[in-house]
Amino acid sequence: MPDGTMTPTFTAPGLTAQELEVARLIVSALSLEVAPEAIEPEAPLFNEGLGLDSIDALEMALAVSKAYDVKLRSDDERNHRIFASLRSLTAHIEKHRTR
Amino acid sequence: MPLVDRELAEVICHRPAGPVTVGRLLGEARALAARLPATGHPINLCADRYRMLLGFVAALMRGHPTLLNADASPHRLRALAEAYLGTYLLADKPVASDMPLVLVEDGAAEEWTGPVPMLPARQLAAIAFTSGSTGQPTAHLKPWDALVAAALAAAERFALRPGDGPASSVLATVPPQHMYGFETTIMLPLQAALACHAGEAFFPSDVLDALDGLPERRLLVTTPLHLRALLAERRRPAPLAAVISATAPLAMSMAEAVERDWGAPMLEIYGASEAGSMASRRTALEPDWLPYSGIRMGQSEVHVPGLGVVPLADAVEPAPGGRFRLLGRRADLVKLGGRRASLAELNRVLAEVAGVEDGVFVAPEDIERNPAARLSAYVVAPGRSAEEILAALRLRLEPVFLPRPLVLVPALPRNGLGKLTRAALDGLRLAMAAP
Repeated sequence: MPDGTMTPTFTAPGLTAQELEVARLIVSALSLEVAPEAIEPEAPLFNEGLGLDSIDALEMALAVSKAYDVKLRSDDERNHRIFASLRSLTAHIEKHRTR
Repeated sequence: MPLVDRELAEVICHRPAGPVTVGRLLGEARALAARLPATGHPINLCADRYRMLLGFVAALMRGHPTLLNADASPHRLRALAEAYLGTYLLADKPVASDMPLVLVEDGAAEEWTGPVPMLPARQLAAIAFTSGSTGQPTAHLKPWDALVAAALAAAERFALRPGDGPASSVLATVPPQHMYGFETTIMLPLQAALACHAGEAFFPSDVLDALDGLPERRLLVTTPLHLRALLAERRRPAPLAAVISATAPLAMSMAEAVERDWGAPMLEIYGASEAGSMASRRTALEPDWLPYSGIRMGQSEVHVPGLGVVPLADAVEPAPGGRFRLLGRRADLVKLGGRRASLAELNRVLAEVAGVEDGVFVAPEDIERNPAARLSAYVVAPGRSAEEILAALRLRLEPVFLPRPLVLVPALPRNGLGKLTRAALDGLRLAMAAP
């Protein structure tokens, strides 16, 4: 679990190729000040962890829709799991992507 | 004054299970009102718009002023509990808090029959809050007659009065606890021929699907941020009687895209949490704003029925035809994600972070045009990391105001008077952006 200090590290903490690709997409879409390789795959994307907010959620939906044609939704509890971490978001994209 | 100015058989809300009539809402509200504490201030956190409405109406029946706050963070709830007597939570899901909680649930309740409840005109119905940038938001009191006057003026403006045509349905991407969302999706259905969509609709696909499920005449109440995402979907929504945007200036290109690609009038509301909605315009055709009935604009203040004189955050100048033109926000104020903050206050919060010797928040030049704009900050804090300072700021600021990026610098380019000029800050930004 992240302890909130998040020392930047450039040794990839076990990101898969797909996770790295999604991490790059997020970092570029949201202009984050963090190296994609440094995102911890299991850390929360919102609030703690990466500290994303609702503006980011919309930007992310836009970027994911453009890149993978996957539509993010907020209609059910599933959503909380999808956005729980980079890993869960990537898994969701891999399952539903059409390109 | 009547709590609901509508017939009992009219639809007031569209839920997944089907439409809810005024009579059903009042019946359920009566049952919920009986479960509320004797006195107090509810913090209505409900995300489901029907339950928000239900909680608000039940609180009105008991004479409890609703605190319009969607922030369920422990420090925010604690601050409200310290400021108001007998605060309790109205929520549609469990909340991690030791405050008294009344769950707003669907229950079998007898429908309301007979005359609708009457409220004293001056009953304090709700309290809205502006900017939590300093941890202590300012409260704005909303008596019932002021809320009703604003709803009736909006109904007149948007042709939502009973004789204006078929009843309308409204879908909103703004939370019902935000003044704009509260006026359009809670107050309007109580006072005009309009039913709100109950579910949460946040992502573009949610919004477009939800619109498909609503009967005509459909209204979409949204923000520039959401409109940008919706237009990018390249999927034409179900026919819309109008699209309404507020909270930030709408780019002309987006207004034109809505008019052209969606075939709907693109209307903008000018409002503020203190004063409520004050005026509207059809952006692609009208540069100037037409005040609502009863609203009188001054140059730095506005007269609002039921509220009196309210100071404005924007400079205003009269325009032909009883309209007015917005000249822009006072320099120190920034607005992001529908939230307003003063740069001076943000700088003060930054200066109070342990280890920070000097620091300044900077608004990007495109802040009024780019819905996804962010503030940046330049900070002198030897021995501290940007992450440490951000973590400290996160405890004090609303997330939208967190700087992105936060740049550590050896010193700020202050002039002989200790001031930071815009030119010096621009120079700093360019220097940091250089490879």
